[in-house]
Amino acid sequence: MTLIYECGNQEALIGYLYYECEPAERAAVAAHLAICPHCAAEAEAFRATRGSLAAWTPPEAQLGFRIVSDAVPDHVIRPARWWRQPLPAWAQAAAAVLIFGVGAGLGALRGSAGNATPATAALSVTAPAGPAAISAQDLSALEARLRSEMQQLRPVAATTSHETAAPVAGPSLDQVRALIAESEQRQQRELAVRTAEVIRDFDTQRRGDLARIEQTFGRMEGTTGAQVEQQRQLLNYLMRVSQRQPQ
Amino acid sequence: MNGPEGPGPRMTLTDEELVTRSVGGDADSFNQLILRWERPIYALAYRVIGREEDARDVCQDTFLRAYRALPGFKGQAKFSSWLYRIALNLCRDWMRRQRRAPVMQMPEGVDPIEMAAEREPAESIETLVARRELSAVVEEAMALLPEEQRTAIILKEYHGMTFQEIADLQGCPLSTVKTRLYQGLSVLRRHLEENAQLKNARLKKGRTEPQLVKRV
Repeated sequence: MTLIYECGNQEALIGYLYYECEPAERAAVAAHLAICPHCAAEAEAFRATRGSLAAWTPPEAQLGFRIVSDAVPDHVIRPARWWRQPLPAWAQAAAAVLIFGVGAGLGALRGSAGNATPATAALSVTAPAGPAAISAQDLSALEARLRSEMQQLRPVAATTSHETAAPVAGPSLDQVRALIAESEQRQQRELAVRTAEVIRDFDTQRRGDLARIEQTFGRMEGTTGAQVEQQRQLLNYLMRVSQRQPQ
Repeated sequence: MNGPEGPGPRMTLTDEELVTRSVGGDADSFNQLILRWERPIYALAYRVIGREEDARDVCQDTFLRAYRALPGFKGQAKFSSWLYRIALNLCRDWMRRQRRAPVMQMPEGVDPIEMAAEREPAESIETLVARRELSAVVEEAMALLPEEQRTAIILKEYHGMTFQEIADLQGCPLSTVKTRLYQGLSVLRRHLEENAQLKNARLKKGRTEPQLVKRV
């Protein structure tokens, strides 16, 4: 089967120019170009245009990109997690001061809050220094005093006091101990929460500072680049002027 | 698809082998892929969008995205084709953001420092000047083309792709690629011819000016 090329067949001409066509089609186009000056001129002009295109080269650029992480491929530059990064000395010192302050504040708060409840009010009478200062001897003395007061109030039932007082005094001591333990746990929880809040606030502030520092550096780099460009243009201008002078 | 700006022959491992190693966590292998393809990708981005700095950013983003998406690359296409597709999508996004035609970075006059740096020993300064001027004219002419025609010509002329590879990247039939190439070449031819005529006219005018000065 013989192919015949007709004028204006753009696709066939492009296939011929780029050597991407069947041999039969190529032969048909070549045969037509040999007898058609118009199409031959067009093909020649396209060849010349393609030759000119080779002159267009992109400017040299500093590339050299590199992947700096060898872990799971999800980051090109993998910064350390913020909670794994060591805090600077000033931040650690500031955090320690804050934690101490929060602890002291909580201690004061605990002392004032203790006066508000009847259960701890009794403790404050016998042990003004706080729950840590209560000893077993104090509790025994308190128990003995309460028993004697109860015996004075109820002299009739004095004969049975030993049998009845023991069950009454036992639970009261346990209750006091339970209250002390509960109070201490609550304060420890509160201290832990406050400490976590302080650390979190510090880290937020630190990250904000780092971002601002980075932006400042970026602006400085931009300024430097602009100055270099200005100097370059000036140098080019001077060279052009110096080349023109001999004429 | 190894065009004039394709990878060099010294590389021993194929792209696909390096991809396999990269997926296994070997960052050095991916760095070899970057070294192999960053210049072609940068050249593609520069010719499509016409801005040096943005082309560099597109190039960097291309490899960043490729690295992140590497586990999902199943080898259904050549790595280079996949990379070109990512780069072209980023170029398209950039142009959409800019909402304008590629910007020309036309040099004002001739830069002697740059010329001295890139001048080859065998190339005379006149030849170099002519090449730089022609480069600027071609860049100007390419900026006149619609995006599809410009991309088709860039992929064909500077990256040596086949019609079928271009059709796959552009998502169009083979015949459309040929039509885009024909129409693009026609515009370029016209612009280059007009420019050559203008240049000749200026030269003639320059030759006649001294005589006029003498008469005055």
